[in-house]
Amino acid sequence: MPKRLLALLLVLPALVMIVLFFIVPLFASIVGAFEVGETFGLGNFSKSFELYSSDMIFTVVIVAVSTLLIGFFSIAIGGYLTLGENPRAVALLRWLYRWPMFIPFIVVGQVLRTFLAKNGLMNNVLVSLGILTPLQTVGFLDWRGIVIAFVWKQTPFVTLLLAGAMASLDRSTIEAARNLGASRLRILIEIVLPQVAPTLLVGLILSFVTMMSVLSVPLMINAQSPTMLTADIAFRINAHGDYGVANALGLISLLLTAGVALIYLRQSMKERA
Amino acid sequence: MDMRAFLKVEKMSVGYGTTTVLDKLDLGIEKGEFVALLGSSGCGKTTLLRTIAGFAKPFAGSIQVADRDVTQMPPDKRGMALVFQSYALWPHMTVAQNIGYGLKLQKHSRGDIDARVSEMQNLLGLSGLGNRKPGQLSGGQRQRVALGRALAVDPEILLLDEPLSNLDARIRLTVRHEIRSLQKRLGITAIHVTHDREEAMVMADRIVIMNAGRIEQQGSPEEVYNKPATPFVAAFMGAENVLSMQVSVKGEQIELQEGAFNAATVTARAGRRLATGPVELRFRAEAASLTGNGDGAALEPGALELRGQVASVSYPGGHWRHAVRLGKDEILVDADTPFDQGATVKVRIPAQSLFIFNTPEGPAGPHTF
Repeated sequence: MPKRLLALLLVLPALVMIVLFFIVPLFASIVGAFEVGETFGLGNFSKSFELYSSDMIFTVVIVAVSTLLIGFFSIAIGGYLTLGENPRAVALLRWLYRWPMFIPFIVVGQVLRTFLAKNGLMNNVLVSLGILTPLQTVGFLDWRGIVIAFVWKQTPFVTLLLAGAMASLDRSTIEAARNLGASRLRILIEIVLPQVAPTLLVGLILSFVTMMSVLSVPLMINAQSPTMLTADIAFRINAHGDYGVANALGLISLLLTAGVALIYLRQSMKERA
Repeated sequence: MDMRAFLKVEKMSVGYGTTTVLDKLDLGIEKGEFVALLGSSGCGKTTLLRTIAGFAKPFAGSIQVADRDVTQMPPDKRGMALVFQSYALWPHMTVAQNIGYGLKLQKHSRGDIDARVSEMQNLLGLSGLGNRKPGQLSGGQRQRVALGRALAVDPEILLLDEPLSNLDARIRLTVRHEIRSLQKRLGITAIHVTHDREEAMVMADRIVIMNAGRIEQQGSPEEVYNKPATPFVAAFMGAENVLSMQVSVKGEQIELQEGAFNAATVTARAGRRLATGPVELRFRAEAASLTGNGDGAALEPGALELRGQVASVSYPGGHWRHAVRLGKDEILVDADTPFDQGATVKVRIPAQSLFIFNTPEGPAGPHTF
């Protein structure tokens, strides 16, 4: 018995931390989502859907599109790092691609705001090169700006995971395909990718969850309607002190990410079976 | 070397970065021949195979197949298929998909591929396993899938990179014969890389022994076993007992001069290229015989007799192995009956089992592996 007691004592600090700083706040937020005045009900949710249903769709579409693009670019970069035959180009790419990872989201938002605006750096360059006239310029400070920011920031992270998994593959599985005459693109799609698919999935799901929770990028780039749920949550609290609807919106984001996590769990169960 | 060889490697230099692994190497292989590249790890045998396959680019020299220069061709255009040491099966594909992938790349029809895949499966005893993934197969089965994948594209030359080193010792013995008989049946040219002497002996028509990026000797298994050209080959082929002596060459006779443990012996030169001076003498444990000190049986002509003490006796199976001490040196000698530890014995080595080489400068120590 004293041995078990000791074990319990040893995990107790960690347990207390988790309960105190994770489970209690989460639980309070979930309960808060159903609190309408003094009673419990679905009022916060009906108000959320009434005011923000287009933002929910906007959020899901933006994050989904970004996730797909991140997947595409990270496969392309990781594939080149693994199968590229020009050692210098590979070394350069390896050195370059990680940079955005070390730049905070708020800075990404700010950098892209000055770059993508209607009279921002990108359009100024295009105009001065004579490619566009000032009248033809278009600002990207809407959903496209958010997608660009997310993809720019998250691609290096997924690429890092993916390139690592690709590098640890048995090289001879690639050489065996080359020996039989497979092109590099076919090797990437038919030999390499199927073997690293679980890693890609994990990277994309982690990215999805991260993007769902970013507030700074939509605030910096797209301060208009429709916007992302994170901006709405901040707005409910800062402008109205409306914790009820904020909690309800939080719970809705949680359910959206839980859906993605479920896909992941199912996939990993299938692999283990 | 035959200048009309089917596969011809000429003055080829290969390396990685600034290190040269193979320097101006020449090798010719006949059509239908089974050649083993034998050597210890790091000798360049795998580099040679990978360069022939097209996975490493030579600095200089050429590789030709049937008088066609393939030096700059990509791996798949050389008519060669490589079987990897790790098998390199694609874990996400079934056995049938693995075997059929090369044919799919060559854009054969679905029906053709299925027919060829089942032909390969029958040939290799993989029938009924077509829908399994590599992870569900035994080591021996995986090895056969790798072989089937390479053979399915009907290559002119089959390259084998230590294909048996990941198998259990018992399975390895049967797979050796399977690969050899398959190669004979198909009449395919094969190059087999191995560090296992016995494997090379059993499988190959010709053994190419490599050391430090050079070919030390090549020849039939009997040749390299019985007439090693260099001390390295002698040691690699099992003649691990080494003694330093002095010889004087007199025409077709060589005299091993008297030493602390042997009387002077005159033996036939028998084609050995030797000069008077210090030599390294090598022989196999099983080639020598042991007799008691009092045994007065006549020494056969040309044989060397050494006198020493039994330091230890062990039984590795089939015969008794004695470590015999000669001063500071120790040699291993096999005998059918055990001698007591500490007994004084006579070790007799017949003339044809003595491998004698001039030592270039100073006494050569035993080669270490």
